[in-house]
Amino acid sequence: MSAVLEITGTGIRFGGLVALKDINVKVPEWEIVGLIGPNGAGKTTLFNCITGLSKPGTGKIVYRGRDVSGLPTHRRVALGIGRTFQNIGLVRGLSVLENCLVAQHARVGYGTLGGILGSPKSFSEERRLKRNAREVLDFFELGQLANSQLEGLPYGTLKLVEIATVMATDPDLVLLDEPSSGMGPDEAHALGERLLDLRRTLNITVLMIEHHVPLVVDVCDYVYVLNFGRVLTEGKPGQVQNHPEVVAAYLGGEVEGHVEHREEAADATA
Amino acid sequence: MATATGALDPSAARRAVWRPGLAGWLARLAIAAVPVGLLARFMATASNVWAQRISLALIYAIIGLSLNIVLGYTGQVSLGHHAFVGLSAFVSAYVVTEHQQSFWVGLIAAVLVGAVSAGVLGLVALRIKGLYLSLITLTYGFVAVNSLFEIPALTRGGAGMPAPRPALFAGNRAFAFLCLLALVVVAFVDWRLLRSKVGRAILSIKHSEAVAASYAINLTFYKVIAFVLSGAFAGLAGALFAARNSTVVATDFQFQSALLWVLMVVVGGLGNRLGVIIGSAFFALFPVLIGLVEPLEHYIANSLNRDPEEFSLVIGPLLALMTIIQFPGGIAEQISPITRWLGGARFTLHPEQKRGTT
Repeated sequence: MSAVLEITGTGIRFGGLVALKDINVKVPEWEIVGLIGPNGAGKTTLFNCITGLSKPGTGKIVYRGRDVSGLPTHRRVALGIGRTFQNIGLVRGLSVLENCLVAQHARVGYGTLGGILGSPKSFSEERRLKRNAREVLDFFELGQLANSQLEGLPYGTLKLVEIATVMATDPDLVLLDEPSSGMGPDEAHALGERLLDLRRTLNITVLMIEHHVPLVVDVCDYVYVLNFGRVLTEGKPGQVQNHPEVVAAYLGGEVEGHVEHREEAADATA
Repeated sequence: MATATGALDPSAARRAVWRPGLAGWLARLAIAAVPVGLLARFMATASNVWAQRISLALIYAIIGLSLNIVLGYTGQVSLGHHAFVGLSAFVSAYVVTEHQQSFWVGLIAAVLVGAVSAGVLGLVALRIKGLYLSLITLTYGFVAVNSLFEIPALTRGGAGMPAPRPALFAGNRAFAFLCLLALVVVAFVDWRLLRSKVGRAILSIKHSEAVAASYAINLTFYKVIAFVLSGAFAGLAGALFAARNSTVVATDFQFQSALLWVLMVVVGGLGNRLGVIIGSAFFALFPVLIGLVEPLEHYIANSLNRDPEEFSLVIGPLLALMTIIQFPGGIAEQISPITRWLGGARFTLHPEQKRGTT
């Protein structure tokens, strides 16, 4: 099986702080890979390294056999790496629909000059972009919010809008940063179903940071656990769940942790 | 079948947004036609003085839209726009007078010079933002005024460079219509800008560079494009300004102009096309509007010994303060019930605002 994303030996430091050190992560085709770990473990920093917002000091990021380490963020996204942000990566001041239009930036079939001079192509393309945006929003059952402004929408809804928006970039690999935060258990479960459905219909591969353990167990094929900028352990969700070091990392306690404790901790973070 | 799928289609509920019927649209068209018709009639019969004022108002509106791209869409402040407009005015006059080219060649040259000089500033804006960028634009303006505008070959010193009008638009009224045509073109480009990927990219970058980049937007390219486009509009305005006055003199482009232009955009309503046009036209017409109130004009001219022209920079900051403190949306916000209605919504003074807490 070929890997969609292969991170080898990636490390980054901010001044004296080693944020990531020698990270090796492999995301195979069509899998949903989880990335868990306590706050400050370096999960979001790793996302930033993958999309190019942060420049790692060591290591390589290989996407579909191509070393993208030197490419700027917008080029990587145009290749098919979509991502969401922990604190909502949407453009405030634009409506839900307009955000889905912005997201299709790399797939627009007219040039800069054609756009501002109003070429006939730009008009027909804009209609096509709107149709696409509506389709994506309808898939996420957000159709009735198309013309709403973002202000005032509940956090959980914004998270969902953001995922819809990332899907509008037509990605091949999706990086989700805590997609279920702000959602209740039922909504989180529905989100898991939706992710599986997305993978089935659109053939996407997913790498997601998630604290909500039931969701990770439900949808992830494989899990990496980060702690203090290193990969603590990796494996199937069931194995990782019972790994004593993981329990210790989450609770900050002894290595001989109790299974019940772990589940309480998981509920608390969710 | 169609109805069945329509009922299942979750988008059906959304599409049920209220729209006026044919009569409603006709009423809106009729109401919108009134100011347009009045303006056209007024322009067709205006005296020379008024025609010149209207030309200035239309040129100011173009400058306003130019500045609005930087101020409203990218969120930066340019205090050097008088340099772009002035340089373009001189270049167009220079091309026409010294090189015996037609007015249109001069116009194109002015647009190019405006675009390139603003583009250079855009490259600076890649690295510097906010207050420091404002300072750099301010310095840029002063340097341009005190160096480029002192080159005798370009400006012919204090006497100024003649800037003849094209034969077809030589009359003051005809020239006002040329300015109107130019404003329509600029407004069209501005409209398409916002409705295309270019404008959306610029607005996204203003909100968050990380988010914009994650939507595959090339930050460098679109930041520079915003300035280039702003400069192209300013260049067009410069060429028209030169021809309106028939002679370009350096004293026409001082820092006060740049300041007034920033104020008129703020008062008009940042980021709002119609608001900016109205705000700009208001400040261009302000000195003549004072003249309509005879006691006031009398007081200013005789008791204060001032030119009404100077009072733009008295009333401007006052209006800008009022705008910032009391009416953040500017003129655009005040007329929004009407513009929303004309755009096909129900008439209401208080649109339903989707705010979480109130």
